[in-house]
Amino acid sequence: MAKHLVTLTVNGDTYDLVVSDNQTLLDVIRDEVNLKGTKRGCTTGSCGVCCINNAKGEAVLSCLTHALEWDGEEITTIEGLEADGELDAMQKAFIEYGAVQCGFCTPGVIMSARAIVNAHPEPTEEQINAGLAGVNCRCTGQIKVKEAIREDHRFRHKRETGSGTQD
Amino acid sequence: MGCLHLLPSRGVFIAMLLPDHSYVKAKSLEECLKTLRETGEKAKVVAGGTDVIFNMRLKLFQPEVAVSIRGLKDLQQVDELDDGSVRIGAACRLADLIDHPLAGGRYPAFKQSLEAVASTHIRNMGTLGGNICLETRCWYTNNSDQWREGLQGCYKTDSELCHVIKSSSKCHAINNSDSPPALIALGAMLTLQKEGATREVPIAEFYRADGVNFSVLEPGELVTHVTIPPVSDRQVFIKITPRKGMDFSLGAVAARCDGQGEQISNITIVLGSLVTAPVVLDKPAQVVLEAGLTDDAIEKAADLVRDELGEVSNLYGRSIYKRQIAIVLVKRALVQLREL
Ligand SMILES: Cc1cc2nc3c(=O)[nH]c(=O)nc-3n(C[C@H](O)[C@H](O)[C@H](O)COP(=O)(O)OP(=O)(O)OC[C@H]3O[C@@H](n4cnc5c(N)ncnc54)[C@H](O)[C@@H]3O)c2cc1C
Ligand code: SF4
Ligand code: FES
Ligand code: FES
Repeated sequence: MAKHLVTLTVNGDTYDLVVSDNQTLLDVIRDEVNLKGTKRGCTTGSCGVCCINNAKGEAVLSCLTHALEWDGEEITTIEGLEADGELDAMQKAFIEYGAVQCGFCTPGVIMSARAIVNAHPEPTEEQINAGLAGVNCRCTGQIKVKEAIREDHRFRHKRETGSGTQD
Repeated sequence: MGCLHLLPSRGVFIAMLLPDHSYVKAKSLEECLKTLRETGEKAKVVAGGTDVIFNMRLKLFQPEVAVSIRGLKDLQQVDELDDGSVRIGAACRLADLIDHPLAGGRYPAFKQSLEAVASTHIRNMGTLGGNICLETRCWYTNNSDQWREGLQGCYKTDSELCHVIKSSSKCHAINNSDSPPALIALGAMLTLQKEGATREVPIAEFYRADGVNFSVLEPGELVTHVTIPPVSDRQVFIKITPRKGMDFSLGAVAARCDGQGEQISNITIVLGSLVTAPVVLDKPAQVVLEAGLTDDAIEKAADLVRDELGEVSNLYGRSIYKRQIAIVLVKRALVQLREL
C-alpha cells in the first residue's frame, strides 16, 4: 500500500508525516505523532474517547476519519491545552470538581467540554448535555463533569486576571 | 437495553487498522465522477466517513478505492433558487445545515431530523449525502466479522439467505437514517450525477425495498444536491430512541400538511427506521384528508398504519413493540400538526 506525505499541525506544532491510506486520524495522532493522550476506545464512533478539536474548535472523532483527509489541517489534542506548564481552565475545573476518576475517558471528555465552551462560553444545561452526548464515562456518572463544565468560565477568568486559587 | 446505537460490543476483537485500500481525494466533481466510473464497484464514496469507516471496521465495506468528496466545494453550497426552492449540496455537514437560515431555519421538520442524528461530534463530521445514502442496518451484519462467523453469511455478505426472515429471498436490513423521512414529507428532489449524465429523482422514489440494493443509485453515481420546494410550516419530525442524544431511531415519523386547524388540503405522512425503506402512509393520509384532523379521524388513521408497514422484524425489539411505536408516532405527529 502506498504511503503519502502529510502535513498536520497538532497543538501548534507542524509535523511532516508519512501516512498510509488506511490509517485513521487517531492512528496517526497516537502512532506517528506519538501523542498518547487521545485514547483508542471503540474505534467505531460510539464512546467519544478519541475526541479532538478541529481548527474551528469543534469536537470531532478522530477514529472515524481517514488521516489523509486532514492534510494541511490544524487540530488540538488534550496535550495542547496546557500552556507554559499551566493547565487549561477546563483541566483545572475538572480537578477542582473531582470530574476525573480512572481517567481513561478524560481526554475525550475534556476535548468535548472545550468544544462546548468554544461555542457557548457559559453553556446552559441543555448545551452541556448535547455536547456530552456520545461521550461515555463509566466512572463519574457525568454529574461532576457537568459541574466542572458549568464552572469552567470562573477558572478562565482567573487565568486572565492572574488571581490566585479558588475562593 | 444495552448499547443500542451500535452492536459490536459483544467483547469481540475489532482489528486496529482499517482493511487495505487506497484513498483518493477528489479535487473536482469531474475528476471524482471519472474516478468513480473507472473504479466502478471497487470504489466507495467517502463524505464524512462516519458510516464508511464504521462499515470498514466490520468488514462490510472492503473497497479497493475510497473516493473522498469532502473537498468538493460545489457540493457544499446552499442556494435559494428562483422558484423559492432551496438547493443543498450533498457534502454539507449536518451541523452546518441545522443552523443555516435556508436549511434548518426554513424547514422545521428537516431541522428536527438533523438534530436527531447521532451526537454533536458526528454531526460535525457527517454530511447530508452520507445520511441519505446510509448503509442499511441489521442485528446480524452490524457485528464484527468474527462474531458473524458464528453463523453462516447472508445476502449482504457471502451467502444466499437471511437470518432475520429465514424464508426470505431478499435482505431485510433497515433504513435507519433520520433525514430521509423528513425530506420525503417535504417533497425533496435529489440530483444524481454520473460521468456524462445527470438526473433528478424525487427522494420518495430513491429507496428500494431490498436491504442490499437499497437505492436506485447506480455504480459510479453520486448524489450531488438535494432540492426542497417552498412549503408551509405545518411540518413535524419525531424520533423515538432508548436514550436521548445518540441512539439510532427505534422508529421515526415525519409529516407535513397544508390548510388550517383541523382542515387540511394536502398531507404526507412518512415512517422511518422500521423497515428497509421509509414508508409513505397512503390510507391514513386519505382518512385525515377527508375527515380533517379530528380526534376520531386520527384514531382511525392510526388503526390503518399496521396494514401498510409490512414485516417489521429487524433490530431493537420485537415486531409487536415496533408496530405499536409506529402507531404512536403517527398519532403524535397528527396531533402536533393540528396545533401548528
Ligand atoms: C455512533 C453512531 C451513531 C449514529 N447515529 C445516527 C443516527 O442517530 N441517525 C442517523 O441517521 N445516522 C446515524 N449515524 C450514521 C451516520 O453517522 C450519519 O448518518 C451520517 O450523516 C453519515 O454521513 P457521512 O457523511 O459521515 O457518511 P459517509 O460515512 O461518508 O457515507 C455513508 C454512505 O453514503 C455514501 N455516500 C456518502 N455521500 C454520498 C453521496 N454524495 N453520493 C452517493 N453516496 C454517498 C457512502 O459511500 C457510504 O455508503 C450514526 C453513526 C455512528 C457511528
Ligand atoms: S436482513 Fe438478512 S440478509 Fe439483510 S443483512 Fe440482515 S441477515 Fe443479512
Ligand atoms: S474510539 Fe472514537 S468514538 Fe470510540
Ligand atoms: S473517569 Fe473512568 S471512564 Fe470516565
